[in-house]
Amino acid sequence: MDVIDQLNAVKTGKLSRRAFQKTLLGAGIGIMTTPFAASRAAAQDAQGTLFTWGGFDIPDLYTSYEAANGAPPDFAVFGGAEDALTRMRSGFVVDVAHPCHTDMVRWVQTGLFQPIDTSRLSNWGDVLPELVALESNEAENGMPWMVPFDWGGTSITYRTDLVEIEGEESWDILWDERYAGRIGMLASGGDAWWCAAIKAGVPFDQIATEMAFEKTSAALREQRPLVRVYTDDTTTLGQALSSGEMVAAMTWNSTAVELQAEEIPVRFAQPKEGALTWVCGLMMHKDAPNPDRAYDIIDSMLSVEAGEFMIGAYGYGHSNAKSFESFTDDELQGLGLSANPREILDAGQFSIPQEQEWESRMNETYELIKAGF
Amino acid sequence: MVSVPDAAPVRRNRLTAWFRRSEAAQGYALMSPTLVVLVVGIAVPLLILIAMSMWTRDGFGFDMTPTFANYERAATEPIFGTLLTRSFFVSGLATFFTVLLCYPMAYYVAFHVHRNKMLWIVLMTLPFWTSYLLRVFAWRVILGYEGVINSAFLTAGWIEAPLEFLLYSQTAVIITLAHAWAAFAILPLYVSLEKIDKSLLEAATDLGDGPFTRFMRITLPLSMPGVISACFLIFIPTTGDYITPALLGGPDGVMIGNLIQLQFGPVNNWPMGSALSIVLMAWIAALALVFLFLTRKAKDQLA
Repeated sequence: MDVIDQLNAVKTGKLSRRAFQKTLLGAGIGIMTTPFAASRAAAQDAQGTLFTWGGFDIPDLYTSYEAANGAPPDFAVFGGAEDALTRMRSGFVVDVAHPCHTDMVRWVQTGLFQPIDTSRLSNWGDVLPELVALESNEAENGMPWMVPFDWGGTSITYRTDLVEIEGEESWDILWDERYAGRIGMLASGGDAWWCAAIKAGVPFDQIATEMAFEKTSAALREQRPLVRVYTDDTTTLGQALSSGEMVAAMTWNSTAVELQAEEIPVRFAQPKEGALTWVCGLMMHKDAPNPDRAYDIIDSMLSVEAGEFMIGAYGYGHSNAKSFESFTDDELQGLGLSANPREILDAGQFSIPQEQEWESRMNETYELIKAGF
Repeated sequence: MVSVPDAAPVRRNRLTAWFRRSEAAQGYALMSPTLVVLVVGIAVPLLILIAMSMWTRDGFGFDMTPTFANYERAATEPIFGTLLTRSFFVSGLATFFTVLLCYPMAYYVAFHVHRNKMLWIVLMTLPFWTSYLLRVFAWRVILGYEGVINSAFLTAGWIEAPLEFLLYSQTAVIITLAHAWAAFAILPLYVSLEKIDKSLLEAATDLGDGPFTRFMRITLPLSMPGVISACFLIFIPTTGDYITPALLGGPDGVMIGNLIQLQFGPVNNWPMGSALSIVLMAWIAALALVFLFLTRKAKDQLA
């Protein structure tokens, strides 16, 4: 069929009905199939998927991945690790997920993950060995289940101009009745429960006992009337702190560092009872659809560029020893970090992996308390 | 109906003949696309839900021995009853205010707009062309601590400190639900008001009814079908609403929908979540029946 020919036919009024309908049909098929062609092209180019915490879905951490694959990976975001696990157990398949060490044992038990072949990671040699040698991390032949990525603390970010501190900083700030209605809490039990246990004076190796359970839940119940909102959304907490809607909130390092960058007078407390410290890392799904890209994601997150961004912009520790080289000791100390993570992790309280039974019970109880029971 | 490929021609003829004769078979054949969707999309999931609600959580798996333990828990533990009551309270108030606020709008378009009615309807539903989630977020901006209302009041000097009850409260949830579901009230109300025979109103005026009595005796009763369907359309989905209380409710604004989500999420107790969903459905169905019964009774008395 010739386009010019048809135009002539129209001009001279000789376009037959059949020819006209053929043209229509052709145009229709063309329009209908264009999106399919485009999506097939896109499918060939599918990026690896990373299932991670809110805030890690920014391109700065994936520069080497982007250089190799043309675009940052696809992100799926969760607010709490338990939520993430439930979603994957009900069939959500990703390439790489980002749990913390406390969750790792239970995640491995689901059989949804595969050991990581570290020989495929160019940055593996620089990874701090003490972060790899965590309890139960070895899968087989020296391959780990989880490649450590970030570490840091859960503590209190408070407004230095609105909160009075007598003596040392302490978890009591979040239990102070003078600030009723102006306190923010993390909604995930993985942080809140452990911090409440510190406040209630429960040693972590006894956290699974009945006594510890009662003491911790009593502390959280006592705090509940003071809490303005329970959320896992760090943006909500950050905004509330900057506007003065909240004076203190349980947060991770990044909230304080980001607010300080905006010159809001906040401090990330170093409570005398110890902050909650954690190490999180990357695990690979056993059915990862893009295993090569999964390794690219992990490798780019382990890179020095990613590490410098993590430390500089978020105030989190990184697992690559070289990432710390461009920071002075003073800078690191100001962020509550050190090039030697053991120092920090030992000074704080490191949460211990628990059985699924305990985890479910803990989450259920924390939800009850949040709802007011 | 299963067609057997190797069946003898005689039998096939018989089958066709039966199909031609039986109106029921033809009816089912006509309905089949809808029927398939209903069975696959509603009946089967509902059965799965009912079955799962009788299981028990067992670590990562389920213990499939049937038991009513989940329903017992739902009946005895106070949290479930409280959240259920709160959900009905919040969504009842939201329904009431939505219908109250939308009635005048629908009334105006039905009786006082004579040209371009369709345009008016489209304009009224315009805010609902954005996503539900965006509307909920927009209310966060309006009700927030440094939000539109608080900044306006502060600038005007009416308040000393921002009003904190606006956000993270049941009030916030009710306001947002009442706005977010308005379109579902306007349309049925408009349709039933539009259908009212204007000559009845004239007759009422001729016989001496003032505007108020006329509204109470003619317009309102005749628009009742619209009011009832608007109430159902809003009450049923808002009772189980999840996102509005999650974003705006704060600790005291949690509703049953959030609790159900938690069972499927961090609490990791799918059977309990299923049982709660069933309980919620049963309650809504019961309340809807009572509501229908009452309105029918009222209608009979009017007639």
